[in-house]
Amino acid sequence: MISAENFPEYNVPGVVKHDFHPYESNGGSVVAIAGDDYAVIAADTRLSSGYSIHTRKQNKLFKLSGTTVLGSTGCWCDTLALTSLISARMKMYHYLHQKVMPTNAISQMLSIIMYHKRFFPYYVSNILAGLDADGKGVVYSYDPIGHCELASYRAGGSAGALLQPVLDNQIGLKNQENVAKDPIPKEKAISVIVDTFISAAERDIYTGDGVIINVITKDGIETRNVSLRKD
Amino acid sequence: MALAEICGLSDAPFMKANSFSTDDAGIELFKLSGNMEDPFSLAVPPFANPCEHLAELQATGENSGIKMNFDHGTTTLGFKFKGGVILAVDSRATGGQFIGSQTMKKIVEINQYMLGTLAGGAADCVYWDRVLSKECRLHELRNKERISVAAASKIMANIAHEYKGMGLSMGMMLAGYDKRGPALYYVDSEGTRTPGNVFSVGSGSIFAFGVLDSGYKWDLSDEEAQELGRRAIYHATFRDAFSGGIVRVYHITPQGWVNISNQDCVDLHYKYQAQKEAAKH
Amino acid sequence: MFLTRSEYDRGVNTFSPEGRLFQVEYAIEAIKLGSTAIGIRTPGGVVLAVEKRITSPLMEPTTVEKIVEVDRHIGCATSGLMADARTLIDRARVECQNHWFNYNEPMSIESCAQAVSSLAIGFSDSSDGGSAMSRPFGVAILFAGIENGAPELWHMDPSGTYMKFLAKAIGSGSEGAQQNLQDNYSPDMTVDDAVELALNTLKQVMEEKLNSTNVEVMKITPEKLFEMYPKTEVEAVISKLQQ
Repeated sequence: MISAENFPEYNVPGVVKHDFHPYESNGGSVVAIAGDDYAVIAADTRLSSGYSIHTRKQNKLFKLSGTTVLGSTGCWCDTLALTSLISARMKMYHYLHQKVMPTNAISQMLSIIMYHKRFFPYYVSNILAGLDADGKGVVYSYDPIGHCELASYRAGGSAGALLQPVLDNQIGLKNQENVAKDPIPKEKAISVIVDTFISAAERDIYTGDGVIINVITKDGIETRNVSLRKD
Repeated sequence: MALAEICGLSDAPFMKANSFSTDDAGIELFKLSGNMEDPFSLAVPPFANPCEHLAELQATGENSGIKMNFDHGTTTLGFKFKGGVILAVDSRATGGQFIGSQTMKKIVEINQYMLGTLAGGAADCVYWDRVLSKECRLHELRNKERISVAAASKIMANIAHEYKGMGLSMGMMLAGYDKRGPALYYVDSEGTRTPGNVFSVGSGSIFAFGVLDSGYKWDLSDEEAQELGRRAIYHATFRDAFSGGIVRVYHITPQGWVNISNQDCVDLHYKYQAQKEAAKH
Repeated sequence: MFLTRSEYDRGVNTFSPEGRLFQVEYAIEAIKLGSTAIGIRTPGGVVLAVEKRITSPLMEPTTVEKIVEVDRHIGCATSGLMADARTLIDRARVECQNHWFNYNEPMSIESCAQAVSSLAIGFSDSSDGGSAMSRPFGVAILFAGIENGAPELWHMDPSGTYMKFLAKAIGSGSEGAQQNLQDNYSPDMTVDDAVELALNTLKQVMEEKLNSTNVEVMKITPEKLFEMYPKTEVEAVISKLQQ
């Protein structure tokens, strides 16, 4: 990288050196849970930068198709660039193959598109939720360069590390003995998600204000709003 | 204007009147996702030497709160013996010190007769294994014969060499059964490619090697070999913090690969503990 | 008529005053010199059968490849210039693999035909680029495939036009064969019936006597996808026809 050290004539007292800082963290968290015939995905609505809040009403969920929703947080400009590229690619797929892109195909394409910027990644935390070809709920999570993993529940974003253990306990029933691993009813999944966000708003400065929840079933995508602390 | 022309500025690619025509938008779209047309065409970063400078960007993130950690995978092993090839892996993916996943699949099924293991950058390994799968399948269709593991590993080593110095992080084993018999190759992002009988790759490999070397011989029975692989990974998960989750064992025979077992480390721990207790009495 | 034709049939990018592209039409004529290939779609799968011209007893019959696997769910039969066919088939294979790579799903038969078609019509006699073919491809292709568990048969000709068929014959015997298919096709045929009909049709239009070395048969079913018929099974069907 070009730096001031290589140009001694500019290296005078008082010179301000600027490094290359292309990324910004705009915060926000996403949580998704997949059930037998539904998928729920939720994101908070606070968009901040450093210690100041830009807006309290930013929807971070992107409806990609009638059965697929992407939750994306991190560097908001990267999120916008990535999601507009995805929607353009999905339109091309639609016109070329004359069908709506299924969730499985979107999950793979997202991974490929993110890996395209392997050497200068999108700084985003993506979670994709939707219904697969059989109508079963699926959740895919991604690292910044497109490593994709299929899961049944997942938390990501600024409070991801705070929320994932709660889900492991409440939904995954991890390391618990003598518990019945029954399928989780839709309303239970939604209430767990709301609880996790209330907890996150309590401890993460970048998560708060409100939650937008998308419930994906064969009948369509239902949107619900829940308020969080505004402080 | 004349000066601009002399300096060549008027030909600069920025701020052109027609930058936003629909034609350019189409080209732009292909530029932004060129690897959908050609998997080898990745975007060039806006700085030189991405290996160093991307790492720098990631490091400064520690102060600014912009932590960009890629998923990493860890203990994997593979060995040849008289009954074929055994591959065994853990399933923990870590992004920094956070356990991103406890159920990651570190064995990639390239085709019915070939498997790849992944250690290092998860996205790197999975992406290039996918490219390899595609190339192997095309080879099979064009030549009416399955690709040999030697050839497949050479494709991988060529890819690694092509991107050498760009900061890819891969340490993988390719194992399979072809007309020359069982095959096991180690390939990494430095461009190394070497055949061998016993390999272990990843942060837990030193622990896995200890168990593996003490129990390995060519004449192992199928059950003994599977158990040796399983035990070696289990001990690695016990001592290496970056390894854990599920121990997966695969066996490759002349008929193709078989997934022998996927067991949680917790269950294995108590199983081996009980065996130890029983041996005392 | 012939005279007016010859004035406008030199370049691939010149229409005749009647609005015809003679070079493309001639390419379609070239198919009629090719060996006969037949495709039949049934509810249980698609069958492809082709004639192989064994021009010399010194020739190795297995090296004549008229039916090829494009992916596990798509098989193709070609008629016309085999060298051209190879280029088109390779494009089909690469497109199918790319589709899997990008979308983790099998490519639809129509999209595969569309991809091959865009290569087939990418000809021009201009010198720019140099990557394009300077004449139309002299190949017709039958695409047999399984999409979402349902069998499909598509046909593409040198003009790049592709259409879906229930049964289609291409090549030198295509006129007689197509008539025979029309007379004998029924929508509730089984795959075995279709193999018999295909071989019976070939038997009628082929100059040589039908045997297991001068035909190739393939079936593609939702259960087992692409499968070539082994020689012994082809022999069994042929001996059944002779009774």
